[in-house]
Formats: sequence, C-alpha cells, structure tokens
Amino acid sequence: MSENEPRFLNRELSWLEFNQRVLDEARDDSIPLLERLKFLAITSSNLDEFFMVRVGGLRLLIDRRLSTPDPSGMTPAEQLQAVIERSRRMIRDQYACFSDDLEPKLAEAGIKRVRGSELSERQLRAVGQIFDAEIFSVLTPMAVVSAEEFPLVANQTLNVCVQLAPAPNSTEPRFAIIPLGRALPRFLTLGSDRGYAFVLLEDVVRKLIDRFFPGEDVVAHASFRITRNADFALRDDLAPDILAGMEGILAARKHGQCVRLEVDSDISPELLGFLKKSLHIEDREVFPARGPLDLSAFMQLADLPGFESLKNEPWPPQDSPDIKAGESMFDVLSRRDILLYHPYQSFEPVLRLIEEAAADPDVLAIKQILYRTSRKSPIVAALARAAQRGKYVTVIVELKARFDEARNIEWARNLEEAGVQVIYGVKGLKTHAKVCVIVRREPHGITRYVHFGTGNYNEITSRVYSDASFLTSNEELGADAVTFFNAITGYSQPQNYRRIEAAPTGLRTRLLELIDGETQRKQQGQNALIDAKLNSLVDPEIINALYAASQAGVPVRLNVRGICCLRPGVPGLSENITVVSIVDRYLEHARILRFHHGGDDLVFISSADWMPRNLDRRIELFVPIEDPPSRARLISILETYFDDNVKARVLLPNGHYERLKSRKKRRRAQERLYEEAVRLVKDAEQTRQTIFEPHRAPGSDIEQ
Amino acid sequence: MTTPATDKPASEPVRTTKPVAVIDIGTSSVRMAIAEISNSGDVRVLENLTQAVSLGKDTFTRSAISKTTIEDCVRVLKSYRRILREYQIDSPEQIRVVATSAVREASNMLAFVDRVYIATGLQVEPIDEAEVNRITFLGIQPYLISDPTLSHSRCIVVEVGGGSTELLLVKDGDVVYSHAYRLGSLRLRETLEAYRAPTLKVRNIMETHIHRTVEEVAEHVKGGNLEMIAMGGDMRVAARQLQPEWDGQSLVRLRVRDVEDLTNKILVQTEERIARKYRLSFPEAETLGPALLAYVLLAKELDIKEFLVTNVNLRDGLLKEMAGGAGWSREFSKQIIRSAIDLGHKFAFDEAHATHVAGLCTTLFQQLKDEHQLPQRFEVILYVAALLHEIGLYVSNRSYHKHSMYLIRNSELFGLGKRDLLLAALVARYHRRASPQPTHEGYNTLDREGRVAVAKMAALLRVAIALDESRSQRIHELNCSYEGGRLVISIPRVEDLSLEQLALKQNGALFEETFGVPVLLRMARS
Repeated sequence: MSENEPRFLNRELSWLEFNQRVLDEARDDSIPLLERLKFLAITSSNLDEFFMVRVGGLRLLIDRRLSTPDPSGMTPAEQLQAVIERSRRMIRDQYACFSDDLEPKLAEAGIKRVRGSELSERQLRAVGQIFDAEIFSVLTPMAVVSAEEFPLVANQTLNVCVQLAPAPNSTEPRFAIIPLGRALPRFLTLGSDRGYAFVLLEDVVRKLIDRFFPGEDVVAHASFRITRNADFALRDDLAPDILAGMEGILAARKHGQCVRLEVDSDISPELLGFLKKSLHIEDREVFPARGPLDLSAFMQLADLPGFESLKNEPWPPQDSPDIKAGESMFDVLSRRDILLYHPYQSFEPVLRLIEEAAADPDVLAIKQILYRTSRKSPIVAALARAAQRGKYVTVIVELKARFDEARNIEWARNLEEAGVQVIYGVKGLKTHAKVCVIVRREPHGITRYVHFGTGNYNEITSRVYSDASFLTSNEELGADAVTFFNAITGYSQPQNYRRIEAAPTGLRTRLLELIDGETQRKQQGQNALIDAKLNSLVDPEIINALYAASQAGVPVRLNVRGICCLRPGVPGLSENITVVSIVDRYLEHARILRFHHGGDDLVFISSADWMPRNLDRRIELFVPIEDPPSRARLISILETYFDDNVKARVLLPNGHYERLKSRKKRRRAQERLYEEAVRLVKDAEQTRQTIFEPHRAPGSDIEQ
Repeated sequence: MTTPATDKPASEPVRTTKPVAVIDIGTSSVRMAIAEISNSGDVRVLENLTQAVSLGKDTFTRSAISKTTIEDCVRVLKSYRRILREYQIDSPEQIRVVATSAVREASNMLAFVDRVYIATGLQVEPIDEAEVNRITFLGIQPYLISDPTLSHSRCIVVEVGGGSTELLLVKDGDVVYSHAYRLGSLRLRETLEAYRAPTLKVRNIMETHIHRTVEEVAEHVKGGNLEMIAMGGDMRVAARQLQPEWDGQSLVRLRVRDVEDLTNKILVQTEERIARKYRLSFPEAETLGPALLAYVLLAKELDIKEFLVTNVNLRDGLLKEMAGGAGWSREFSKQIIRSAIDLGHKFAFDEAHATHVAGLCTTLFQQLKDEHQLPQRFEVILYVAALLHEIGLYVSNRSYHKHSMYLIRNSELFGLGKRDLLLAALVARYHRRASPQPTHEGYNTLDREGRVAVAKMAALLRVAIALDESRSQRIHELNCSYEGGRLVISIPRVEDLSLEQLALKQNGALFEETFGVPVLLRMARS
C-alpha cells in the first residue's frame, strides 16, 4: 500500500454502511413485507441516534475549532461533510423504499395508509369526531412573533408549521407551530372494508388545520422534525471519545444546538426559510422527506396483530438437549457445563437457575449484574425472593440515567426493600459485563454456579438478539467470578484472575497477547488462525496487531456486524484478513473469539467489543470456554457464520460492502443455527427413546 | 410459605468442610482469605480480598496510627464482615485476625485493637516477627518438601516487608537460623522523606541503608550454594511483569539481573505511573521500588543469580495452622527444637545432659497429662526450657539460672513468639532455687494462666533434672502412678536410686506446692 493511504476506515462512515446493510434488508424482496417495514423503521431510529450523538459530536468539535484528524486521516469538518452526504443518499433510499415499494405493496396486502386527501366522506366524518374529542384539546398552536422568539421544540418530535396570511394593515407573514407531542398516537385506525386502514396524525392535523385558526387564512403548512445534540450529555456510553473534556460546553447548551431539520419535501420556500432562520440551520442540515417523517414509528405497524403471511415464520426457542425437564439446574451443572445459543435456544434455563437459587435452602449468596430492566422481570422477582429468604443478594444495576433519577426507579427500590444490596454502577465506568454467581453450600464444600453471557438479562431482548450463555460450576471460573464481583463492588482491589480477564484492567493486554501469540507462531512456522465475531471493531491498537498478524501470514477471519475500521484485503497491510457482516432477522450480538494456539484452540466469549470505550472505560468480561463440547459447539457456530452465503456481506478495502456472489448451495447462518437447535433436541429425544431405563428397586445394580 | 425446592430429604447431609477466614492487617493493606478446611485438613481457598490502608506510613513516620487510618481499617473490616456473613463464618474460632509490624509497633496499638473490636467484633491479634516467621514457614514448607533442589540445599526465605525484613535460613528442610531485620520498604521511604533527599541522591541513600542490613545478613548466612526464595507482594509484581505466563501456583525463577533492570526502571517513575502501569494501589506503588532494590542488593551480596518467587503469603500459613488444629505440627516442633539446640551450642551447653533431661520432661509431660492439663504446645516450650536451662553457666556459675533466663528471653528462637519465649525462659529460671514469686521480674507480667503454666512446667523440669542427677543418662524409662496420695515414679532396670532420691528430696518441693502431692521415686520390680 502507498504511504498516503489511510490504514483505517472512518468509524462514522463505517457505521453508516452498517445502517445501509439493514436498509438493504428492508429492500430485499425475498423477505416478508412487515419484516421489511421493521428493518426500515430500525434504520430510521438508528439514524436518529446517529445524528443526535455522532453528528452532534462532530459539530461540537468543529465549533471548538478542533481539526485533529481521526485514525482514517479525516478532520472533523471532512467527516461531517462526508457523513451528511452519505446520510442524504441513505435517506433518499429509505423513502424510495417506503413510498415506491413498501407502501404500495402493503396497501395491496391490506395495510393501507389513507392520506388526508383520500379520506372518504364517512372516514372524514369519523376523523373529524376524533379530532374534536381527542386531538383539538391536546394540541396547542403557538404563535411565533419573531424568529428570535421561536418556541422550544422538543428533540425528535413531530411538529406542524403553519403560515397565516398577514394581519390586517400589515404585509408581514405570520407563523405558528403546532407541536404534536408524544401523547397522541401517530396511527389512527380507520374503518375499512378490507384489511387495515390508518391515517397519520399529522395528516389529520393538516387536513383540519383551519379548525385551529378560526377566521384566519392558512396560507401554507408542513410537518417538520428537528434533531438536537442536547441529549447526549447523559449518553456517555455512546460517544465518550467525542465527549472527552466537553462537559463545560454541554452545560452551556442546555437546549442543544439543532443538527438536523427534517421537512416534507413539498414545503413552501417561505416556511422553509422561516424554519431555517429560526433554528439557525444551514442548507446542508435540511433533509426533505418524500413521505412521512420519522419512519421509526412504523415499527408499531410491523407488530400489527394478524397478517401472519407478511411476517417471518416463527422460530420458537428450543430446549437445551442437555437439560432434562424437571431436573434441578444445580444437578445438571454439577455434572457438566452448559452452553446455550440464544435465541435459537431458550433463555429459560438461566432464569430457572436463578429461580431455583432463590428457593434453595443451601444457597448462601447470589451476585448479579443487571441492566435497566422491568419490575415484571422474573429475574428481579427471584432476586427479591432470595433476599427475603435471608440470602445475601448483591445486584449491580447499570442505569443509563443520572444517579438521582435512578433513585426513583421503582424496581431497584423494591429490591432494596427486600434486603438486596443494590449497587448503582461503578463510578466512571459503565458496567457492561453480564454475569451471575450463585454460592451454594454442598456436602463436599462451597460450590459456585456461574452464568456468563454476552447479552443482557432481559427476557425481551433475549428473544431477538443472538447471544451466548455459558453455565458452569467450574472451580476456577467460580473463584474468578467472585473475585470479579469483589472488585467491582469495592470489597477488594482488583486481583489477578485465574482464567477470565476483565476490562478496563487486563483485557486489552490479554487480547494483544493472544493476537501476537498467533503472529509469533506463524513466524515460527506453525499454523495460526484468528476468528472473531464482534459487533464493532474500532480500536487502533488492536487493529494494528491484526495487521501485524496478517503480515506474518496469519489468516484472520472477522465477523463484524456493525462498525469496522479495519481495512481488509489491502496488499502489504491486510491481505490475509477477511471481514464479513451478517444482518438478518436476529440482531447479531454474541462476541465469540477463537485463537488457533498451535492446534489447541482457545475459545472465548465476551461482553466487549473491540472499541476503545469497551476496553478502557467499561467493565467487561472475557471468558475462556474450555469445556470440550461447549468449545466445539462455539467453533461450529463460528464456522456456520463464516459459511454464510446468503446474508453475509463482505467488506471491501474501500469500506463498502458487497454480497457474496456464490453459486454454491444456499447457506444462511441464522437459519442453519435454528435448524441445528431443533436437531439437537430431536437427537436427544431419540437417544432417550433408544435407551431404556427400567424402574428398579432402590440399591439394586445391573448385574454385569 | 412453602416452596417445592425446599422439599429436601429430611436428613441434613453430613458436612465435611468448615469455612474459615484469616485477615492480615499489614503495612499497606488489609487482606482476607476465605477458605474451607476439610476433615482431612485440606485447605481450599475460596476468596482472596485486599484493600489498601496506609497503616505502615502512620506507624513508621509518626509512631502512631492516625484516627483516619483506624477508621479506614474499620471500614474495610466491616465490609469484610459482610462477606464473612455470606459464608456463615461468624464464630471466633472460624476467624483469625492478625496484625504485623505496623500495628504492633504503633504506640496506640491497644487503642487500635480496641476500636476494631468495638466496631466490628473482630479480635485483632498483633503478632511478632518470630510468629510471622513461624507462620510463613508453615506456608512455604510444602514447597521445600516437594521441590528436590530445595529440599537438599541451603535456602534463605526472605520477605522485605514495610517495616522489617524477615529471614529464614533453611537447610535440608530444617530452619537453622531465623531473624527479623529492621529493614523495611516503608521505613526506607520515610527515611528519604525525613532527609528531604534530592532526587539524584535518593538511590544512594537507599543503597547505603540497605547495605547495612545486607552485610549483617551476609554474615549470618554466607557460604556454599544458596537458593533464595523471595516472598512478598512486591516480588510477585516483579514476577508478573517478567513472567506473564506464571500461573501463581508454582515457584517461578527470576533472574536477578532482570529484576535489577526492572527495579531501575521503577525507581525513576512516579508513584502515579507505577500504580497505573502495574495496577497497584498507591500504598503498594510507594514501596515497590525500595523493596525490589533491597532484594536485588541482598541477592548480589550473597552471589545469588536467581530469585525463586511464590504466591505463598502469611494467610496461607495461617490457614494451614487452622487446618492443623491449635497444636503445632510435629514437623514444626522439630524446627523449634532444632533452633533451640543451635542456641545451646552457642552457649556451650552439656548437650547430652540437656537433651536427656528434655526427653524425660516429655515423658513426664505425657504421663501426667491429666494432672497438668496443659495444651500440647507447652510440651515443646518445656522441652526448649529443659534444653537451655543451664546455658546461664556460660556467663557465670553464680545465679546461673537467672542468666539462663535472660539469655533465652533475649535470643531469637525460630517459631517462638515473645510470650512463648518468656515462658520458656521462666521455666528455665525456676529449675532451681526459689519458687516462682509474684514479685519476680518477668513472672509478674504474666496472666494467671501463664503463671500457672510456668509453675507446672518448672515442677516437671525439676523432677526431670533430679532423675539425671548422675549426669550419666542412665534412666530412660519411667512409669508414673498414684499410691496413697503420692505420685510414685517407678524406674525399671536400675540397681540403685539413692542419688536421684536425694536430689528429688531437695528439688521436689515445687512439685508438691504446685500439684498438691509429694513425689516418690521407686525401683520397679520386674
């Protein structure tokens, strides 16, 4: 490669490429319609967050006149320019997908959006009634006297801007804003002969706009939506690299600068000019939409009851073949380790372990990390029960909100009232590890049962995220898990672990050692291989280590769902590295790593992505899976992903992705993982049926 | 409320393990190990915790522990209490809390111990150097036995602590010398601060200070091939740096040269950088450089090329001791006796007589168990007193029993703490002449339990001495029995006992005073 060529891809553009892959799913004809709508909605909400955090962050850097280039060599101004251009193209594609493709096809399939002008007389009457009864009293138009006194418009909410004719004896146009707020439903159901018909709230408001301004002449009206960067002072999880040292600036911008204005594409020039002036928006920050604003709201429609033919066939979570119905999880785990791959396999055994622990008289203590979860969560209920029974329960709750707000969270309070020791995160670090330890007194001594996961303890997300769970009573892993808890709860300084590794203490070093280990082996003529499945790969130090491995001849296969700043396949830099990304019906979330280690594979699961924030500013876990069947299964899962030729997209050296053009037999990883989960259960059943277990008198053995 | 999971078989499983905890209040941290001890005495460590406190800094600069530091310790110990409750460790015999030099040397040691007791219910036991050595040896012993190169070589076990440097010289698995030197990493730090030494001189001043001790050590241990086991957290940090793949279980070898390079690097770094780079608490970061320098200089003086580093620490020894019950192991007693014999040689004792009397003492101690009711370890103390009862003769014939007492009392005997040493010294003192009096120096510092034990042991010693009045070691067997309110000691296979009988008449008064019965010596009829 030439010297001027950047070694890294820009993370913002790489993220946009990820969103594009999600959008490609929305555009994929072979996918059921409502699933496509869901993908489209996801791209829209993803983009909202992106503008709020990343674009907002870039704007702040530019305002501070910081021009240090990022690892890819782009200054903040160059990045902003590129990001906006790329987003604009994506938004164009989103609306093309919605208006030209999905909307007509949905209407054909019986889900019809009725525009204001299309309302039948009967429908109009009904809408009028709803307007009078529900809408009119909730919405309040605000007159805008001057651009300087523009009312405070909430971030990412829908609004209608209205232009009224000049007052008598004046030539000045008058403007008003009607914020649509969050209280009213976006979709209003209409009576229909066939299927489901709906009208959007903004269409109703605009259709009946005169009712807000009796006696006035409404000249023009349009919907708009703004995105501010205000919100992200609290979202340090998303942009710490940008946020570093900016708290002062943020405090001064209580209401946040506006970074994006979305408007109907048919907005009148006067209205647009007025909004731009009032919101201090430049042309490049204006995004006209050829369809309804805020497509993320259509997620609701995708979950519409009925219309099963427009949805994916269900893939019900399967049981684990290693756990017999009715058997105690303690018995199962004292016999063997269990690896579960969700959502193909049910999360229920994890839940069951915690519930059994809560009721078991020999359990002394339970320690668990919980992300924000609901009061209805059966795990929370089990933990409260355990504490009420006198067990020592410690829960580390990671809250996204500030501490005082966290205080108000009812379920955490309830846990405290039940006697649980609740710890609200670790100062300065976000707790991202997912682990639960159960300390149980058994006849031969204390045994620790541990669950390590790559996903949150959340029954809802565990149905749509692909994650790995590892359950074990291994002595060393148990000791490590307890040591880990002692460290993050402040009972002890961090100690060295026997098997696991954790961020922010030793994980970065350990990863570099493992990668370097493969490089060394290759240089000494041994076989070497690195396989990694991650959500994001950003960290320059790790990427450089992977480049070094590639240059030594180590084949590096990466499955990175989202951002990847590594440039694969560049001669002299990374020709031995391939990167694929899989976007399919389940969100790829598991982090699985494999190092060849001279033929004696080292396999790990982890909560950490390879990003500076994960390795340096979060509490993460990295767990070796040494149980041979579990390790073999993880390797086979990795192989299944690398084998995908349906949903896999390959990353090119220029940062773009393309689908694999394979003539081989169609192999779709998620489908095969589901089939395998089904097969495992069937095989186990069959084995059970071919082994007869006669009822015997107690104590009698089979005669040999 | 009933739940299905509680429907267990009615009979409780027989528990074969006992959870225990040991807490070690050191110079820079308070550490706790939680373990399980099985019926067979195996120790399984469940948790290791450590939290930083700056006790040593207080004691070695201001000679007292500050109020804030006391409260820091209380806070740490309270948090440990919670973990202890999780394991249902709550009775005093399941917990042992020891404190080393930083607490022991603090002028407000008692206030510290009391405050901790009031706040946490934990009884802190300040232990002296000998006790630390003894416990450390318990922890390191398995390595010495299992490693063939070590079990057959001369080996020093060194720990440079915050306040002192503990040293054991082990030969063929036996401790032949033990000593605590006043060289400590925190003391070094504080000396430098007192000097307000300019940065360039710091190293020189440290080296000068270390050299004083190093030369002293060399005098004691020099000669022949020597292995060096370096204990202590500072050395473990070095091991993790130099041998990242070290599993922490085995002994790891570090080249002195490599440790020296690392030390040179560390000595020029700020504490902040050291803490960050090696992931240490600040109190640990402060002592790392000086401690490593002390190890390196000592190794170079002794011409040692490699350090052996282990993960063994004081808590391992404490746990081993808990696993072994209250008594001292046979192996351990052997080490103490071995070290007493070395002391005897130093003062040119009559070894044959001394060991014979000591042997008779053991026989008497065992046969009269029901009478004296003393714990097992007093057997060893009595044995030591018997070995050394005449060493005062080295000083003078006049009142030599008093010379014996102060020689014993002021010597270092491996494995015997200050109190045990005083007991042995007093027993030796009372082997002749006056019976114990409450006005006697040393004796008057003992509590009642101690006073009674001294009287009982001295009474046994006097009987044993009488039995070897001939100094010919001719009485080997004896048999104690009660007849008509007298203790009768029957001696088989001896023709004439008149010499011994006479000696007993002169020396037996203390026995009668103490046990309330006269002693009679008699030839056993075959």
